[in-house]
Amino acid sequence: MNISNGFDISASALTAQRLRMDIIASNIANANTTRGTYVNGKWIPYQRKLVEMQAIEPSGFANALQSAVNKQAGGGVEISQVINDPTPFKRVYDPTNPDAGADGYVLMPNVDMVKEMADMISATRSYEANVTALNATKSMISKALEIGK
Amino acid sequence: MDFFNSNSMNLLNGAIGAAVLRQQVISNNIANVDTPNFKRSDVLFEDLLQNQMQSQSFAGFHPDSRHFVFSSGNAPLQSKIVVDQQSVMNNNKNNVDIDREMTTLAQNQLRYNVMIEQMNNDLKNFRIAIEGR
Repeated sequence: MNISNGFDISASALTAQRLRMDIIASNIANANTTRGTYVNGKWIPYQRKLVEMQAIEPSGFANALQSAVNKQAGGGVEISQVINDPTPFKRVYDPTNPDAGADGYVLMPNVDMVKEMADMISATRSYEANVTALNATKSMISKALEIGK
Repeated sequence: MDFFNSNSMNLLNGAIGAAVLRQQVISNNIANVDTPNFKRSDVLFEDLLQNQMQSQSFAGFHPDSRHFVFSSGNAPLQSKIVVDQQSVMNNNKNNVDIDREMTTLAQNQLRYNVMIEQMNNDLKNFRIAIEGR
C-alpha cells in the first residue's frame, strides 16, 4: 500500500481539469475567429475543441498483484486526446466581412457560448472537489505522523 | 502479553489500512467524475467486520492437543474493493455522485481520526506501563 498514491490520483485530476479549462478558454477566445486553419489556399473557421477524459489503468507487476486481491484503488484520470467538435459551422450573413463568400454569408466557428460557460462551471467545480480530496489526504497523512507522540 | 500483536491493535491496523485505501478509492472516484463510462468503486471493510463478528466462529474437532486447529475466528480481515456496476447517474454512463463522494470523504476522514486517536491512547497506556507512572 503506497500512501502517496492518493496524492497522485488527485494531482492527475487537477492536471486534467486545468487542461480542460485551458481548452474552454481557447474556445471562448476564438468564438469569432473566422481564420482558424489554412487548408488548400482557403481559410476555415476555428473548430471547437473538446477533451476526451479517460481513467488511468495502473500497470506494472505490483499493481497487477494489487488488483488481483481487490486492493487496486485506481490511477486517476488523464486527457487521452483533444478532439475537434464535428458539428457544422454557423452561417452568418455579413457581406462586409473579408471572409464572406460570393453570396455574402460567412462561416463562423461552431462555438456555443452557453455550452462553454456550462463546461467552465463544471470544470471549476470538479477542480474544487479534487482540491478538497487532496487536502483530506494530506491531513490524514500528517495525522498518521503523530501516532505515538 | 504481546502488545503489538494484540487483538485490538491488529484490528485497528486493519481498520486504518482500510480507511487509507478508501481515501484513495474516493479520490479516484472524484478524479473521474467527468470520465465517460467510469464506474465508481467502494471499499468493503465494516460490513465484512460485522459479518465476522456476528458469525459464530466454528472450529474443527481436534481430539488431540497436538492436532492443528481449524477455525474461522482468527483469520485476518482483509478489506476489499468492489466496483458498483449497477447504477447509472449520468447520461455518459458514469455513476459518480459527487455529493455522495464528498460526504463519504468527510465521514472516512473522521473515522480515520478516531482510529488514530484510539491507537495513540493505546500507545500511551503502554508507555505508562513501561515507565510506571
